[in-house]
Amino acid sequence: MLIEGQVVIHERLGDEDQRLRKLVLKGPIAQTAKAGQFVAIQVQDFSISSFDPLLRRPISLAGISSERDEITLLYRIQGRGTEILARAKCGDKLSVMGPLGKGFSLPDEGELWLVTGGIGIFPLYPLAQSALAQGLTVRLFWGGENQSFLESAGLSSWQGLGIPIHLSTLDGSLGQKGLVTVQLKELLEKHAISGGKIRVATCGPKKMMQAVTDLCLDYKVPVEVSLEERMGCAVGACLGCVVTLTDEAGTLIHKKVCQDGPVFQGEEVVWDESC
Amino acid sequence: MSPVDFTTQLAGITLRNPLLTCSGTYGFGEEYTAYCPLESLGGITLKGITPLPRLGNPVPRLAETPAGLLNAVGLENPGLDEFVKSYLPKVRMLPTAAIANISGFSLEDYVQLARALQKDSGLAALEVNISCPNVKHGGMHFGTDPQSAQEVIAAVKAETDLPVIAKLSPNVTDIVGMARAVQLGGADALSLINTLLGMQIDIHRQRPVLANTFGGLSGPAIKPVAVRMVWQVFQAVDLPIIGMGGITTWQDAVEFLLAGATVVSIGTGNFVNPQAPLEILKGINDYCAQRGFASVRDLVGLAHN
Ligand SMILES: Cc1cc2nc3c(=O)[nH]c(=O)nc-3n(C[C@H](O)[C@H](O)[C@H](O)COP(=O)(O)OP(=O)(O)OC[C@H]3O[C@@H](n4cnc5c(N)ncnc54)[C@H](O)[C@@H]3O)c2cc1C
Ligand SMILES: Cc1cc2nc3c(=O)[nH]c(=O)nc-3n(C[C@H](O)[C@H](O)[C@H](O)COP(=O)(O)O)c2cc1C
Ligand code: FES
Repeated sequence: MLIEGQVVIHERLGDEDQRLRKLVLKGPIAQTAKAGQFVAIQVQDFSISSFDPLLRRPISLAGISSERDEITLLYRIQGRGTEILARAKCGDKLSVMGPLGKGFSLPDEGELWLVTGGIGIFPLYPLAQSALAQGLTVRLFWGGENQSFLESAGLSSWQGLGIPIHLSTLDGSLGQKGLVTVQLKELLEKHAISGGKIRVATCGPKKMMQAVTDLCLDYKVPVEVSLEERMGCAVGACLGCVVTLTDEAGTLIHKKVCQDGPVFQGEEVVWDESC
Repeated sequence: MSPVDFTTQLAGITLRNPLLTCSGTYGFGEEYTAYCPLESLGGITLKGITPLPRLGNPVPRLAETPAGLLNAVGLENPGLDEFVKSYLPKVRMLPTAAIANISGFSLEDYVQLARALQKDSGLAALEVNISCPNVKHGGMHFGTDPQSAQEVIAAVKAETDLPVIAKLSPNVTDIVGMARAVQLGGADALSLINTLLGMQIDIHRQRPVLANTFGGLSGPAIKPVAVRMVWQVFQAVDLPIIGMGGITTWQDAVEFLLAGATVVSIGTGNFVNPQAPLEILKGINDYCAQRGFASVRDLVGLAHN
């Protein structure tokens, strides 16, 4: 659907150095949304309409509240579009298309492990919430630049969920020093011995998701990955956002991140062909 | 105020209104239905097809520019057989006119496509893309050389009983010469314009942004070029024109009609606002009603008087 979402909250998230923002919009999108889906939001100078920047920006749903008719978007100011978006004030109305794409799926039973790096954490919070509501065990592996980043990007709300959390930072300022995949491998190894049922969901830098997928394949654990690609239409009409996958016969095929994704089965993705 | 007459004749087909959507920006018709009901459109132009399936170019395929979009999709499509088998049955059921868009790398490609697509397919017309800038040794050769353009259109015309629309490339010095050539080839209508060849360089990575290096520029940035070409061709050639290139608002659409387009087509504008076609129709209606035009046909070419 296309809505004029009213800005209810728009604020800095954590340290200003991190350039992170929280944007809460009122509108009916939450009613049908699920974790892993995204919206395409128009970024404009809100005082006067213009066609520069031209395209909508894809942003994941980081919070879905159907009772309050609200969605939460968490984003990093990355370039001109998000810079302009950051100027929207409470009460402003933003044109939002969504919910778009297909979200993550939840296993019927067992454990859901969330593995993420950087701001790839954002779409995982509503996923953790639905998994917990369904009685699944949830575990988080999260890697970031440093302590300031992890704290700015919402560590305390994750801690509020009361789930096991394995942190890593590149500089060792919080959690284990190094990459998130080190701890993931250790735990996969343990579970391989105990034989628990696990599903992994991952979102973050491409290299990390590729490494996570490789590990999961080694340990025969199903993994869903959330991909990014530049978008034009965001509804599957322009073929701008394709990702290369292999089908059952091993043939290379294209699917659209906006419509068929952004969540795909990790083992299908041909990483070298994708951005 | 009596209602404004929107019915439009184009190359022997009757359209509900003079508003189409552009090839490559509207999929095969099903993608935008949640935003814009197809029955409100005069018609849609389908994604370009080639005889064989194509995966197209690697990503990134898109780059945003000031008020514009560069694309290098590279004609990704399911190929003729799959189109006929899996897409056409759904396309025939769409509640609006559907125009197929065909592309080729040789004269034989165009002939093969035209032969397979006849009136009984349920399509309203064939748009012949002789102008795709995104494929190597591709259609653009036909779109920049008048002699080849005429031959392609004549060959297509000889194979199909559908009305034939020639889609011209703006990447030429003499658009009127191209229009005259396809008219000689027997074209029933013209589509103006396809994308302008461009590129963008990432100054941080010091590399082209698009994997294909070059892409086709569309969106508001190209509108003045498109309006100029519609204007020139309207003066020189007696064929109906489908005007496109940057139409995003009703004012843009009116500008194309005044320049001489019988029909207008929305492409990149759908990405900006998926309800753009609805808003544009309403805007044209109000413009006509307020100024006492009984029919949108009264606007066509009016700026030339
Ligand atoms: C499905 C999806 C979900 C996303 N969710 C989030 C989120 O929850 N939070 C968040 O901070 N960011 C998210 N992103 C990335 C976000 O869309 C980009 O950071 C944003 O578009 C940058 O726009 P800009 O104008 O500020 O940057 P610029 O770099 O100036 O953008 C120029 C162009 O490149 C595109 N672009 C730039 N970076 C990306 C990227 N990483 N992915 C796709 N296109 C890009 C822009 O859309 C624009 O068309 C998501 C991307 C996708 C595809
Ligand atoms: C993503 C994209 C894909 C396109 N694919 C095709 C195509 O397959 N065949 C074709 O004739 N034109 C294609 N075009 C060109 C459009 O049909 C249109 O001529 C052009 O974009 C100018 O109109 P606009 O500025 O309204 O988009 C494509 C354009 C875009 C943006
Ligand atoms: S953005 Fe157009 S197909 Fe995905």
